Amino acid sequence: MARGKAHAAYRIWAHSRRWLGLMALLALTVGFVFPILWMVTTSFQAGEKMFQLTTEWIPSVLHPENYPNAWSRANFTQYFINSAIVSIAVMAGNIVFCTLAGYGLAKFRFPGDRFVLLAILSTLMLPLEVTLVPTFLVIHQFGWMNTYQGIIGPLLIDAFGVFLMRQSILSIPTDYIEAARIDGAGELRILLQIIVPQCLPALAVLAIFSFRDSWDQFLWPLTVVSLDQYRTYNLGLVQFGEDYGNPPTEQMAIAVLATIPVFVLFWVLQRLVNKGFGLSGLK
Amino acid sequence: MTNKSTSRNSRKVTRRTLVQGMGAAGLGATMGAPFAGRAFGQAKAPVKLAFWTFENPQQRPWIHKRVKLYMEQNPHVTVDFQWFPFGDLGKKISVGFATGTAPEGFVSQDWFMPTWMDKGLLAPLDVQRLGYPTYDAFTNDFAAAFVKGATQDGKVYGYPLWFYGFCNYLNTKQFKEVGLDPDKDWPKDWNQFGEVAKKLTIRDGNKFTRQGFKFAMHAAQWTMIQFNPILITHGGQWFDASGKCTINNAAGVKAMTARASLARQYGAEDPADSIATNPLPQMDWLKERCSMFWCHPIPLGAIKSQNEKMLAERYFKPVQYPGVEPGKGISTTYGFNLVVNARAPKDKQEALQDLYKFIMSDLIDCWKDTAPFSLARKSGWADNPAVKEFPDVAEIIKAKDQGVFLPRSVVYTELADAVHRGVQKIMLTNADIKTTLDEVAAEVDRASANYKKG
Amino acid sequence: MTSSGPVKEMASVSSTNAESARDAARRPHRPARKAWRLHYSRRIQLWGVSFVLPTLLFFAVFKYGPMVWAVELSFTSYDMVSSPRGIGLENFESLAADPIFRQSLFNTIVYIAGSTALITLVGLALALAISTAVPGARYCMSAMFLTNLMPILAVCLVWRFLLHPYGLVNQLLAPFGVDRVDWLTDSATAMPAIIFVTVWRFAPYFMVVFLAGLLAIPDDYYEAAQLDGANAGRRFWHVTLPLLAPMIFFVIVVSALLSARIFLMPYIITGGGPGNATRVLSMLIYETGFSYMKMGRAAAISVVLFTIMMVFTFLQMRIFMNREQV
Repeated sequence: MARGKAHAAYRIWAHSRRWLGLMALLALTVGFVFPILWMVTTSFQAGEKMFQLTTEWIPSVLHPENYPNAWSRANFTQYFINSAIVSIAVMAGNIVFCTLAGYGLAKFRFPGDRFVLLAILSTLMLPLEVTLVPTFLVIHQFGWMNTYQGIIGPLLIDAFGVFLMRQSILSIPTDYIEAARIDGAGELRILLQIIVPQCLPALAVLAIFSFRDSWDQFLWPLTVVSLDQYRTYNLGLVQFGEDYGNPPTEQMAIAVLATIPVFVLFWVLQRLVNKGFGLSGLK
Repeated sequence: MTNKSTSRNSRKVTRRTLVQGMGAAGLGATMGAPFAGRAFGQAKAPVKLAFWTFENPQQRPWIHKRVKLYMEQNPHVTVDFQWFPFGDLGKKISVGFATGTAPEGFVSQDWFMPTWMDKGLLAPLDVQRLGYPTYDAFTNDFAAAFVKGATQDGKVYGYPLWFYGFCNYLNTKQFKEVGLDPDKDWPKDWNQFGEVAKKLTIRDGNKFTRQGFKFAMHAAQWTMIQFNPILITHGGQWFDASGKCTINNAAGVKAMTARASLARQYGAEDPADSIATNPLPQMDWLKERCSMFWCHPIPLGAIKSQNEKMLAERYFKPVQYPGVEPGKGISTTYGFNLVVNARAPKDKQEALQDLYKFIMSDLIDCWKDTAPFSLARKSGWADNPAVKEFPDVAEIIKAKDQGVFLPRSVVYTELADAVHRGVQKIMLTNADIKTTLDEVAAEVDRASANYKKG
Repeated sequence: MTSSGPVKEMASVSSTNAESARDAARRPHRPARKAWRLHYSRRIQLWGVSFVLPTLLFFAVFKYGPMVWAVELSFTSYDMVSSPRGIGLENFESLAADPIFRQSLFNTIVYIAGSTALITLVGLALALAISTAVPGARYCMSAMFLTNLMPILAVCLVWRFLLHPYGLVNQLLAPFGVDRVDWLTDSATAMPAIIFVTVWRFAPYFMVVFLAGLLAIPDDYYEAAQLDGANAGRRFWHVTLPLLAPMIFFVIVVSALLSARIFLMPYIITGGGPGNATRVLSMLIYETGFSYMKMGRAAAISVVLFTIMMVFTFLQMRIFMNREQV
């Protein structure tokens, strides 16, 4: 009898612990994510309200006109197109070259391959922030100031992506490749038909992060671009905030718009990305 | 006989040749004339120019308007018109010069003139092309101290465009609210300034609902503009005769103490609140969060766009700066020059000077669009009724005429950054004034030494 | 990609295949087979090299070349208007004597250390929280991951407003008796605030990395430990941590590299202020090179930053390689 009661009590406790855990997790998540929510609600807020002493969390009156207003104050169409061109090019460049190099380093033995791997990884210590001045001089020598190729150039391949693809391709059984070779398949065909399909999750991770990193780029375009028609949205947004009289609420509106492409890309690739991280086992 | 015939022949030939020659010459003349005419009027080689200026909601569109008008009247000229934030233009031009991508023409902020001229980056202008008969005629048409920054060795390197002084802008409604008369009680010396600001301040615990006065804290440029007159009125100097920075001498410390007194002594200012939300602290004044603010002449359109009531009911008024002695306040002044890149090819330089002459040919139009930003030139605008009728224009012009310049130095950028950081330390972290100013002076001296080394 | 390459290859390989098969059938002659294999493996090798070559060339032009040039430049005075002037070690000497450089160096090191430690700890904590397999954990994880995807400029702008003296953070803290804190303008809180925003932005990425590692640990280990009488804490210490060690090492190295290069956050949120409290080396490089046009000096600072990154990386490798061996 007592046992039954104890058991029931235990069940209730275990159950409520579950729900408490969920509550705690939810609280943590909301606490983490509230700045994003704030950004969205503020983008619909009246410009006046930003200067008050207490924040009005949910706008009493929605101001969707912040969006078209903000957009029209500067050349955002051009800025976002520029950013899109740069980011897509960098994403494509990374996908192509990191996969090639990762495959070469994972499945091929040639003299000096260890050294090459180390050399490539060591460029992680040579980010643009460190090589800014000479890279700028190099781009200047090429005559690529104020051009798309000037912005894209140094961003095209990221050592981290090479590392990622190498790790992913390492796990593909070499027998498949050998078998394909014996069957007479060419190297490129092996690459495209065997390797690539097997590392799609890693490719998805590479795609989303290389897109995000180039979408985030600020310092490099700031250095290389001085003409309005080549500005990326980052430069436009900062200048927008510095120009006389633009309300911060409109700045938030543009920030929301800038956030959408990355979120959408993630949503599209989500399942693959989860797999890429090894999280497919998560409930 | 042969001789005669020969000579006759030769005479004949000569005459024929002469007639032919004359005919040819005449033909050439008649043919040449239309060519010449086209060369000076129509069949000119197309000229492409790049022109950069700084962003300002009234000034930039006006310059753009004049440039577009010029292009309409001179179809062979195309101008690529670009603009940059006020604080960024100097940097962009520097990098442009360094990379060979600088524009052929641009608006130079006055305080950068020494840097460009020292490096030989500006082309001398032809005063006659600009419409002045002689060099002296040109220099006499501008305030001597201002045009000094644009001239060197009898040559002119910049065509001054705007030149104005800052005023202390009051919110007269708030003055009256606390029982002050804006016409009589506007602060004429520093003590009065602090007291008035204190009276106008409204606090809510440790927050400020209204600050009596506000200093701009967001950018090095504004820090310089606002500290410059304080330093000079207190008897201080930026540099001594040998080029050493003297901001940390007794006068400099006195000046900085005065600046800090608004917040520290009178509790009338909240330095931490001037960063991060407003790119332009004039916004705080326009939104009535502060009662006084030192600013360049404020266009009516700017007031209207942020606070229609203030414009409609006219409860604002510019007055002179407070001085160390009552009524002896001086404001700060600066201006802008139209300049030409020395590396631009001859034809582009000439086209630019024509463009500048055109831009400056209708200053009344400039006033209409950009009032009350006062113009540098003496002639051609100040007597116009449109100017005379502008409210408070006398104060604005007085500030310009009596004001003191921003220091002209080849290390201006480094100086501004050093002062800005020093002010941040003093106002935001309560650092000791003398120690901080010593650091600032040391920083500036290092920059000067580095510059001399090349 | 399609071209005659692979087809030709197929043909040549199969023809040599057929040839050598016939050869082998006729006389099992070792040399012929060996020759075929060598030739084949050499060709494979070349393919491998050619796959890697574009990347190597790219890095030669955009990474190694510039770094070598930076070292060269650091011994010159160069303002781009005239050609570089060799000045030996003057740049480094003047930097060593420059209080702003020293402050930036100090700030950078503090920032790297603080961010790395906190990102690792918070990332691990979040991963543990998610791994408790509470229903809906996956959605919480995705939601938190969004902070890592949000454009970094948007992050900076949002937090600049939230951390304003009258901003939301202070308002939320007010009921807890926290009086107004000037997060971004008080030199004591400015750097912690930047570190906080950094952790907010980067921890979720590492949370996911840790989570993958956590999920990979087989349950048997935990069961065995539980049977041995270990409570949750000891299970964590003796099972989870050792198995996660390589991952932790990876996270620390990567987050240190990320923090060393940070630019936008201090630039936008505090502008390096107040005074120089949040000025980091990357900002100093940009200002020295592009505000003051001193390319040689900026290159010298770059060399210092690179050295720091190298030192940090090798230090970590030292520490963690040893522990791994133990």
